[in-house]
Amino acid sequence: MKKSLRYLIALFVIFTLNFFIPRAMPGDPLANLLGEDYVIDEASLADLRAELGLDRPLPVQFLRYWSEILRLDLGYSFRFHDRVTHVIGARLPWTLLLVGSSILLGACMGTLLGAFSGWSRASLKNRTGTVLFLSVYSMPPFFLSLLLLYVFAFRLGWFPLKGVYASGEWTDILRHFFLPVMSLTLYLAARYYLIMRGSVIQERDKAYVLYARAKGLFGRRILFRHVFKNASLPIVTLIALDFGFIFSGALFVEIVFSMNGLGTLIYDALLARDYPVLQGIFLIITVMVVVANAAADAVYPLIDPRVRKGV
Amino acid sequence: MGRRLSGLAVNLSLLALFLMLHPLSGSSPNSNPPDERASPQDPVLLRIGTTDLVQSANILLDANLSLFAHVSNPTLMKMNQEIEPEGQLVEAIEASADLKTWTLTLKDDLFWSDGLPVTSADVRFTLTYLRDKFPAAGWIKNTVSEISIVDRHTVVIRINRPYGRLDFEFTTYPLLPQHVWETIENPLRHTNPGRIIGCGPFIIDRTDLNRGVVAMVRNPHWKGPESQIDVVEIHLYKNRDVLALALEREDIDIFYEYASSYPYVNLDRLRGSGRFEFLEQLNLGLYFLGFNLKKPPMSDPKFRRAVALALDHEEILRLILLDNGRKPQLGFIPPSMPAFKPTRECALDRKEAARMLDEAGCRDRNRDGLRELGGGKDLRLTLLVDPHKPFNARLSELVEEYLRAVGLRVSIKAVEGSSWVSLKDRYSYDLVISRTSPWGMLMHASWATGYFDARRTGEGVLHTVDDPKFLALCDDLLAETDPGRFRSLAHRVQDYYAENLPAVALLWNKIITPYNQDFYGWELDPLYGLFNIDTLLSVRRKQP
Repeated sequence: MKKSLRYLIALFVIFTLNFFIPRAMPGDPLANLLGEDYVIDEASLADLRAELGLDRPLPVQFLRYWSEILRLDLGYSFRFHDRVTHVIGARLPWTLLLVGSSILLGACMGTLLGAFSGWSRASLKNRTGTVLFLSVYSMPPFFLSLLLLYVFAFRLGWFPLKGVYASGEWTDILRHFFLPVMSLTLYLAARYYLIMRGSVIQERDKAYVLYARAKGLFGRRILFRHVFKNASLPIVTLIALDFGFIFSGALFVEIVFSMNGLGTLIYDALLARDYPVLQGIFLIITVMVVVANAAADAVYPLIDPRVRKGV
Repeated sequence: MGRRLSGLAVNLSLLALFLMLHPLSGSSPNSNPPDERASPQDPVLLRIGTTDLVQSANILLDANLSLFAHVSNPTLMKMNQEIEPEGQLVEAIEASADLKTWTLTLKDDLFWSDGLPVTSADVRFTLTYLRDKFPAAGWIKNTVSEISIVDRHTVVIRINRPYGRLDFEFTTYPLLPQHVWETIENPLRHTNPGRIIGCGPFIIDRTDLNRGVVAMVRNPHWKGPESQIDVVEIHLYKNRDVLALALEREDIDIFYEYASSYPYVNLDRLRGSGRFEFLEQLNLGLYFLGFNLKKPPMSDPKFRRAVALALDHEEILRLILLDNGRKPQLGFIPPSMPAFKPTRECALDRKEAARMLDEAGCRDRNRDGLRELGGGKDLRLTLLVDPHKPFNARLSELVEEYLRAVGLRVSIKAVEGSSWVSLKDRYSYDLVISRTSPWGMLMHASWATGYFDARRTGEGVLHTVDDPKFLALCDDLLAETDPGRFRSLAHRVQDYYAENLPAVALLWNKIITPYNQDFYGWELDPLYGLFNIDTLLSVRRKQP
């Protein structure tokens, strides 16, 4: 109950900020509505402003914003000429596919390899793996994407250079998503790998591990039965936080692979000062992050008995 | 298992590293499998790659889709090679002696793609619809007093003041079918990603933003010259580098960006491949350094002349354009514009620039290497720039460096488009870097007057010149019909620029458009470059 109230307050504060932050930015949403070649006179601009409700005082706009949220109406985009729900709805599935599969694959790959790496003694392979993941993590996501695109799409011709599909069949969609997902997966895997590795290194010398060894358990069994759960707590937190962060990471991947997703939508809406779209996307990201955090809160007790028992 | 997995990761990483290095060995990037290549029986597909991104399927209000819709919903007039308006959908256009009554006669072989004929009612509807519902056509409200239909092909437009440039206006607005658009109450809230009824040789079949393609097919009721192309696909890329790779890989046949060239740095690579040819034209538009004429010391012509003398145009040409352009002149207007008048070339002369700055009252009084204003107050200039536009970031750095060399302290204020427009309209800057587009050069009274006339507003418009002499020149141009006098007025505008320097041209650049040599017969339009109706009717694919 207390937690639910905390989440509700967080949602209220963030939704309120979502209204004010775009409006605090300099620039006029109508300033470059029609492109550089069009000239709009002051009278037409005033008409347009009235049509979009931008001529009303800020408190009135704020109340309207809240009444729309409560009616689950995200308003109308004057840049994309469509309902915000349609604009976001057309891109959300592709972004979820990109981000969701990348987080899933990245988390599995990074945590498993990180766990093995942290558990094993220093070896050449272990060190090489760590150096490679560290290199990938240090690379800006757009550079990694460009590199993969250049090698696998341009030079080898195995994958298309752009778009989320050509024909729309699922194999075609998979082919289009392979490289973008790989780019984000590698980036995320590198992050999870480094954190998991450090976490396992910290755990492996603890007394319970020694006790498990004394009990006669083998190395991998100790890792998966005892150490893995304890070491994966920071990863759970990170995955929950990633749901918000990853949209900005996805922006670069979407630009490189010319994908129609939420990352570029945020960017375009920011440049155009498209308040309704910005509010809509921030709202969705907020809800996703809050839900992911609530899920993480629910998962913690399952992994860690200390949380369950309030120790 | 752990060892095996981490070993696998290392091996995979090494494989990836090898593949990344592999391209250096020079394998062919052209990887389209043979079965995807066209055979003579296949429909002829022309693929155009662009970074002019379409954001919504609205041919009126999406700036880029409206650009592509010029071939599906053509304008009444088009610009010919002499950059004069000539009929596209209209057969004849006549103005009365007082320039207040214009009669347009439509061609009689025009049909909408659903089979209905194009009539004068469509023309009247389009102008009325745009007047009432299209924000950028507000001028119609204040100018046009009556639109009457004489017969099925003739329409008469009466305006309330002499206006000699009405035919120019008709080169930009698409013709809309009344029977479709009369049901669209508000174009601001309209999108149609499916087939759009048009009367040009091609119509938009679908706008698929997830695929990143605007597909066009032939208008089945087009009665004009037949195109050899069956399908036109406009492929949208969000990244110029990837677009360049797509051209090299032959995923697309031609590069196109409105008023922009293929990146100069990538040209040699394409030339080396031997698979592309290039179309070149000197841009009608240009990049320039503007002054806030409302503020001292920029309001002093001596100061502006000094700034012009401090700029190293030769270096700009070499570094930014890689010599793909010309050194600009003080008359601002490039030779690609009609009635070009040669004026003095912009030349670097720091000594003279320093002398003129002294004369303008900007002296280095405290000997710190930087100049101060009359009362000893530091002179700090703000250079406003939108670095997202090509060349702008590097240009601003160069300008800052050149001006520092003559003792002017400049700080670059880099902002995105929306803030740029707001700051520019509030005159919150001292210097500004911007560009003029081909249409922008022709709008208002032409010769870039639309950018400077203080009575105007708009996205790229500086509206800084309120000198009655200049405003009178604009009005005279707008009301003039005699070609000789018109030319002489155009020369006077260029003299005015050279003398008063409301802005200094920084780049007169070439627009270079590479295309796959499997195609030939391209036509260049002065406004829209390679993407135009004439091209789509004349371009041919070589037989395999």
